[in-house]
Amino acid sequence: MNSGGRTSALAAAVLAVAMFVLPLAGNAYLTTFAFTILISFVLAQSWDWVAGEMGYINLGHFVFYGFGAYTFCILLTRGVPLPACFAGAVIVTLAVATALAFPLFRLRDDYFAFATLALIPLAELLAYNLDSLTNGAIGLSLPPVYVLRPAYYIAGVLVVITAAATLLLRRSRFGHALRGIRNDEQAAETVGVRTYPGKLSVLLLSAVFAGMAGAVQAWQMSYIDPPTVFGLNVALIPIAMALFGGSGLLWGPLVGVLLLAIAQQWLLAHVQTLQATIYGLAILLIGRFMPGGILRAPWIARWRGEPAAGQQPKRAESASTAMAQSAVSIELPLPRRSVSRTRTLLECRGLTMAFGGNIAVNDVNLGIAEGEIVGLVGSNGSGKTTLFNCISKVFEPVRGDVLLDGTSLRNLRRDQVANLGVGRTYQIPRPFSDLTVRENIAMPLMFRAGERLRPASALADAIQFAEFSGLSQRLDTVADTLSLQEKKALEFARALACRPRLLLVDEVASGLTPAEVGRFVDHIRDIRDAYGITVIWIEHIFSALSRIVDRLIVMDNGIVIADGPLETVMRDERVLKSYLGSAAEHAA
Amino acid sequence: MSAAIIIQILLGGILVGGVYALVAFGLSLVYGVVRVLNFSHGTLLTVGGIAAAALFAKYGLNPFWLVVILVPPFFIFGRVFYDLLLRPLTRRSRFEATVGAVLVTVGALIVLSDVTAALFGTSGRSIPLGFHAIEFHGVIISITQAGILAGVAVLTVILHLILTHTWFGRAVRAVTQDALGATICGVAAGSIHAYTFAFGYAIVAVVAVLYAMIYPVDPFMGFSLTVKAFTIIVVGGIGNLPGTLIAGVVLGVAEALTAFFWAPQWAPGLSIVLLLLILVVLPRGLLARRRG
Repeated sequence: MNSGGRTSALAAAVLAVAMFVLPLAGNAYLTTFAFTILISFVLAQSWDWVAGEMGYINLGHFVFYGFGAYTFCILLTRGVPLPACFAGAVIVTLAVATALAFPLFRLRDDYFAFATLALIPLAELLAYNLDSLTNGAIGLSLPPVYVLRPAYYIAGVLVVITAAATLLLRRSRFGHALRGIRNDEQAAETVGVRTYPGKLSVLLLSAVFAGMAGAVQAWQMSYIDPPTVFGLNVALIPIAMALFGGSGLLWGPLVGVLLLAIAQQWLLAHVQTLQATIYGLAILLIGRFMPGGILRAPWIARWRGEPAAGQQPKRAESASTAMAQSAVSIELPLPRRSVSRTRTLLECRGLTMAFGGNIAVNDVNLGIAEGEIVGLVGSNGSGKTTLFNCISKVFEPVRGDVLLDGTSLRNLRRDQVANLGVGRTYQIPRPFSDLTVRENIAMPLMFRAGERLRPASALADAIQFAEFSGLSQRLDTVADTLSLQEKKALEFARALACRPRLLLVDEVASGLTPAEVGRFVDHIRDIRDAYGITVIWIEHIFSALSRIVDRLIVMDNGIVIADGPLETVMRDERVLKSYLGSAAEHAA
Repeated sequence: MSAAIIIQILLGGILVGGVYALVAFGLSLVYGVVRVLNFSHGTLLTVGGIAAAALFAKYGLNPFWLVVILVPPFFIFGRVFYDLLLRPLTRRSRFEATVGAVLVTVGALIVLSDVTAALFGTSGRSIPLGFHAIEFHGVIISITQAGILAGVAVLTVILHLILTHTWFGRAVRAVTQDALGATICGVAAGSIHAYTFAFGYAIVAVVAVLYAMIYPVDPFMGFSLTVKAFTIIVVGGIGNLPGTLIAGVVLGVAEALTAFFWAPQWAPGLSIVLLLLILVVLPRGLLARRRG
């Protein structure tokens, strides 16, 4: 830990002691205020696990808070012992979150935000209408017992757990999965991340903390009614706090909570009318002027010694480093394998994919032997990339089957296919754009079944893959700021880091200079010879393919029209007609 | 139970549903072009409805003149709102732009309802026109209801004509389908965004008058209207006028039936539950067109 870390640890310790002593020494007003801050932090931070880390804006987070509060109060007024009331609040919140997760996670971005916000009026309606449980608009009153002190300490414990969970989340494999989901769910799946359980668990986790916060605060307030727990202007405050501080940043939610809670307290004391207007205006202005949060504002970032958002460090000279300049003989942390060319690794049986009436892949039958390097060519729109998408399960084929080493992929998810040993690049690169090169490559290393590395060793191993692809100068560069060629090199490195048995390469070389293409061809040969990786390579640069492929497959209109050794295929009349078009006719 | 009562309920549902559909279409038009989900859409309608009701109470203007008076300020407000608050967000990263737009429109929702409540009070206001009834085989329809039905029909036809027969409408449809392609073909995206936003608000002004003729409007009911509109969009498809109309009428009738056969206090929750159900069963929406 550096000196800055030691200072902040010391500051945290002092703060913790002060917070511990406060309810014993301070007055009730101050303690109540501190209690509100603790609860707000739990709410804001647990919200940010879903939003900042995973990229899902859950505006209905307060629904969990309200369910926790109501369950707690209903149980307590019926004479249930206190610990059971808290347990009940947690269980009900978990059940609600589980039930809601399935429909909600079918949505993304502002659709998700909208549907979750709509849950708040629904919950309010339930609270108003289920009179026998909730006492409707009159609300529920708890027996008048002074519980500020115990409530305060429970909230304190919640805060400690919340902070610890946040730290763990940022370092853990699970946290990396969330960041993958935030950037590109499909790409995360094709490098072996199973997304749905990750999304569900983080929602449940955040729901439990919100539910506990609701229970404790209801206990402290000793009275709840529908507007206090489900009112739109209260429900959005913790979210505004997290965003105001800086969503997805370690200190963001905390800073936002402190600043806005103090502002709110001042308002309560000094402004009597139009309070909701002021909250609303604050939310609006945060959205307009700093949706990234105050900690991402350029002047704060400069003060913290970090590059401000949007001002990435300058690129080193000559972006054409790409994968092509690296030395050829770099060792990769992959199992060395020599392979027999007699065994069939990939088999497509009657594979068909259609979009509406457009049949993109039509009854394709293929067998690829282990250790083969196969070129896949065909004019644009002939179905090459769609074939890749069917193999890696980005698309679900309408008919037919794909077998990898005898295992049918029919009922497998994308992450399972990746874990069986299919690595791929995307024609239009899809790196995890707000992660660094190194984090991008580490992702499959952490999730590929068989040998799931811990985040630290995955990040260490990633360096070798980056060097192999010629990205050693870019290790800590955010992927979004790379050039197109560098992004393609990153795709290639990430696909290799999946430890594939079958590598699907989609136009990685287009745009390279002839010399660079040459070195890329050597790379492909190296990974086959050293690690026994079978390669299918879609490419329009014919000269590159001709130097390396064992076999060439030609597609046209979704059909395989030729398949065999290069020389034979090149003389095939249908191929000449479809692929070389009129030029072939001229030559003839 | 007599057929007349059922028909009466259906008629009421269709009436309300038609108005819902128009609320939804305004939201969907804006979303299709600007890609901002406006959380304050329904709240703006309540502002318009309350303003219309207040003007009606004070000067006794007929609905036509109320529309004529309300449309220009709403149009201008939409334009200014977009230019000042939303347009600057388009320069930010995707996450920040999404979060920013959500916060701006949610903030606007809270401000609009609170300020309206402070100015006009929190009680519901409506436009009580005459109740001269026409009876037809036991089914009663008031002059007001007939007028609303006519208003919905006329507005729908006008919207359809604008979308299919004007330069603006074609540009809107082009940007909805493929924003980049439209820009390449010479549609100035920025100005289309701003004018679509303003146009959406002008539609809201018209619908607000129609709505206030059916139900009392209070400052805090706006968001539940937005939720209904959103449900209708998910079912009917973005930018799809016929789909939106069908979905709106279905929701209106379903609410009327719920209120009559079960309990009126649950009717407002119907749209949210429907939305969740649809998401489970049909994530792409019932009538949604395939998008590129």
